[in-house]
Amino acid sequence: MTERLPDDCSEVLDHLYAFHDHELSAEEADQIRQHLMACEPCLDRFQVEDALRTLIRKCCSQARAPESLRVRVTASFSRTVIITEPE
Amino acid sequence: MNLPANPTLAEAPETEAERNARFERDALGYLDQLYGAALRMTRNPADAEDLVQETFAKAYASFAQFTPGTNLKAWLYRILTNTFINSYRKKQRQPQSSGAEVEDWQLARAESHTSAGLRSAEMEALDRMPDSAVTDAMNELAPDFRLAVYLADVEGFAYKEIAEIMGTPIGTVMSRLNRGRNQLRAKLADFAREHGLVPSGADDD
Repeated sequence: MTERLPDDCSEVLDHLYAFHDHELSAEEADQIRQHLMACEPCLDRFQVEDALRTLIRKCCSQARAPESLRVRVTASFSRTVIITEPE
Repeated sequence: MNLPANPTLAEAPETEAERNARFERDALGYLDQLYGAALRMTRNPADAEDLVQETFAKAYASFAQFTPGTNLKAWLYRILTNTFINSYRKKQRQPQSSGAEVEDWQLARAESHTSAGLRSAEMEALDRMPDSAVTDAMNELAPDFRLAVYLADVEGFAYKEIAEIMGTPIGTVMSRLNRGRNQLRAKLADFAREHGLVPSGADDD
């Protein structure tokens, strides 16, 4: 069964990513917000999108640079400035 | 005479040693984040380490051209991206079938095959989704889409910043984000259904 969306809803869903990205004007964002408060199916889509973003961010920001890389990078800086202090 | 002092002349110019110390203090703070991004770009830890090392070397060498007070993180990401693009292109010339080179018709087909996304009734599937399912799905995206999605969804860069980092118009960023996100979301929904994370019958309506 294909979802047949009212024009209002397709318009809102088209802008859902941009709304989520805070890339809409205050006025446009207010319109979307008003629609979401009044439309259960669109609010539904918004919540799923929200949960997906949280998941994607969580999964992809776990990476820690290995200590060996930190050492290599730091060493490449200090290589240029070698100060030898006389004992 | 009551002329305002020229701010650039008011302070003694930064010495090279001071600048280097500032670089180490400020830029090194982004090491983990840049490594995370490099890992998504290259899809393997050894290449990611090399890419980050090269990025820091280039950033260090050109740090004098960085304008203090502007966005250091975006500047570092731009160098990371340029370095990736250059070495990625070099690698593409070598005979290698890593699956990274996706043809346009394959992309079009993948998009027309996208299944319905998840619904809120199926959201609990996300709690049971392993990290690897998400990173694998990211890795399957075309490099342009993957990077745009990473910069927006993981790093939270604005469209304008992504456009600067990737060296493309904002319209291109938006279309890459749209297609990349749709593909990624469809892959995750497929994963959830194929692995029984979604209660059966939930997608029948």
